[in-house]
Amino acid sequence: MVPEYLISALVYASLFAMMAMGLTLTYMTTKVPNFAYGSFVTLGIYSSYTMVKVYNSTPYVGSALGFVVGALVSALMYIAILRPLARRGSSLVSLMIATFGVDIGFIGVFGVYTDYLQYNLGHIDAPQFYALPDFSLWGYSGVTFAAPISVVVIVLAIYLLFTRTKFGVAMRAAVENPPLARVLGINVDMVTTVSWMLAGGFAGYAGALLTLQLPAGTATGSNFIVEIFSSSVLGGLTSIFGAAVGGLIIGGSEILVTLGLGLGFGTPGAVIIAAVFLLGGMLLIRSSARMRARVVGIVLAGFGVWIIADMVAGFPVDFMSYELVNGFGPNVTPFQQAIPLLIMVATLMIIPQGIFSINFRRLLRREKK
Amino acid sequence: MSFSIDFIEFYALYLAISLSLNLEFGYTGIPNFGKVMFIAGGAAFGGAVAGRLAANILGVGTNLDFITFNARIITQVNNDLVTDPTLAVELVVIALVVAALVGGFLGFLASYPALRLREDYLGLLLLGTAQFFDVVLRTYTPLIGGSQPIFVPDPYYYWSTLGPGVRDLIAMMVMVAFAIAVFIFIEKVVRSPLGRTLRAVRDNEDASSSLGKDNAKMRRNVLIVASAIAAMAGALYSFYVGSVEYDTWTRFAWTFWPFLIVIMGGVGNNAGIALGAFFFTLLFKGLEQVQPYLQPYIFFNVNWLQDFLLAGLLIVILYVRPDGIMREKSSHTLNKSILGKIVNPKGVENGGSGVNEGRISRIFRSFSSLFHRKSSPAPENQAEVPEKTG
Repeated sequence: MVPEYLISALVYASLFAMMAMGLTLTYMTTKVPNFAYGSFVTLGIYSSYTMVKVYNSTPYVGSALGFVVGALVSALMYIAILRPLARRGSSLVSLMIATFGVDIGFIGVFGVYTDYLQYNLGHIDAPQFYALPDFSLWGYSGVTFAAPISVVVIVLAIYLLFTRTKFGVAMRAAVENPPLARVLGINVDMVTTVSWMLAGGFAGYAGALLTLQLPAGTATGSNFIVEIFSSSVLGGLTSIFGAAVGGLIIGGSEILVTLGLGLGFGTPGAVIIAAVFLLGGMLLIRSSARMRARVVGIVLAGFGVWIIADMVAGFPVDFMSYELVNGFGPNVTPFQQAIPLLIMVATLMIIPQGIFSINFRRLLRREKK
Repeated sequence: MSFSIDFIEFYALYLAISLSLNLEFGYTGIPNFGKVMFIAGGAAFGGAVAGRLAANILGVGTNLDFITFNARIITQVNNDLVTDPTLAVELVVIALVVAALVGGFLGFLASYPALRLREDYLGLLLLGTAQFFDVVLRTYTPLIGGSQPIFVPDPYYYWSTLGPGVRDLIAMMVMVAFAIAVFIFIEKVVRSPLGRTLRAVRDNEDASSSLGKDNAKMRRNVLIVASAIAAMAGALYSFYVGSVEYDTWTRFAWTFWPFLIVIMGGVGNNAGIALGAFFFTLLFKGLEQVQPYLQPYIFFNVNWLQDFLLAGLLIVILYVRPDGIMREKSSHTLNKSILGKIVNPKGVENGGSGVNEGRISRIFRSFSSLFHRKSSPAPENQAEVPEKTG
């Protein structure tokens, strides 16, 4: 029987991968970070809730609805708000603020809808509800399979779309060089609209699946926005597959690291962590040209050395090493949110273009010398 | 009467906050989507520190946990404060200083990683940090009681003994004084060479760094100062309200509204902000008054209307008049008449007389440049001021 936390991490990671892919898609096509993306996820959440509570259906039907609703609303946001403002000549920051405003507007939308659900239809848990019931397969919840399979299917589909279809190639061209693509007869506007539809669809779909795993409410989607962005930044805002990988890493590590911090990694775990810090730090110091990355490397390596030294000496000083082995305790849960933030900070400081921008061949060649 | 006090207090509070946002965003181009964190931090730390300090000094409830017995402790503290007005003033001052330090420190911390990067990453990072801070505020009970509100000592308590509404009036006046001080401070900064440097950092980083200005350092310093101001505003607000609770500090009320005010009033124009804050206060307070009448006709809670209306307003403004009501004007360090004399020293003794400008046109000109420069006493030899644009 696979431990609960691994299941949790798997599902979480898959959902993040999907959401991050959508966000990166919107960023690649319009170059504007879409702060309202979290609200698209909430649309999916409530599609699922509505299907289950109002129509007595399953969240999987809700996920299909979520995809459609997310796609339509996302396309609408592009057509009615971003495109006119961009045509008007708004700066990047103004567009960002506009998306921030749209997110705020959605607070009202969800407020109204949950009021309707609560007062007119009698579903009192509408504003904040527990995870919805799922079917069971071989002893695990359905979403344990649905989420990772969806990610794989989506990634494959995107890959095929981008490389094997004319439309996909047109999309890539439109993203890389819009004026040139227009010259070649590609309708960049339509490509962007379709990209946004896909992005919104992924968000809605992921949001619906999310209700099977976590308690959710009107603010859940918006609260995820930072984590989704961290995933996209980690992967590199110009790569959809990077976003998927970034999402997997951040989603997985959030659960696993928080758990580890809470319960302790145990002696072997702590040693591994210290070793990782030490090696990672040394790598950074040696191979990085940026001063900041070197500083981070020094700090990491120092920390690794400290942990090992402290452990060997039997924890004479009460600073972190003991807790790394035995756990910080339940107070650690708020820091779950901090992990993606820290990862994003680290990414921005060390490899601001994201991991998919690293030319691994070049890096390895240097190391061999 | 209490409506006007509330109105003015709201206006002064949001004026101070929007001015600090204008400094960050309007003049330096930092989109601070995490504004709420600094204000809440100032309220939390300033208020909480003031509370604990007062309790310690007055010797109230020293063996009790500050948070659990908060109501009792603070009530006793307030009663004691009536007899010790200097302590009350000191508390406010200390709270302001603590708030400023906390705000500045948070500003430093939040900006450190992304100073050198583009605005979108900076905005994102600030948003994320604010979200994390939000979680800490909610769960770390010893700070402000987590999900339960805690009271802060009321330094204006003395005046509540004088009659109804007097205490609020005094609290409001303190807030207004603060807002005026902030306005003057920021105006001075903005009209100085430093202000022009900030605008250079905002508009063209390459140009400003080619002239030797350290963009990252500028941004960091601005963020620290603006956050300190916002934190002080938060602390004053907590004194006005008398308590600090987690639920007040929503992204909506403390990040979005200031942005709305800045964009509506005029990005990069402090007088515009003053106007924008006024319109916003009018709009918001008006909505508050009107809402109860609408409630019977709609099936949802009427408070949700605010969200779409204000969001819609923002988008419409961004579309129709993105520079705001009052556009940004270039600033002259010296006022126009002195500049005129430097450029064109045509006094009576030089052989030519200044143009005989009629009184009406002189009044008109000085009125139209009211938002443009400091007013100056009329100098002896009023040389002709060449009428430049902008």
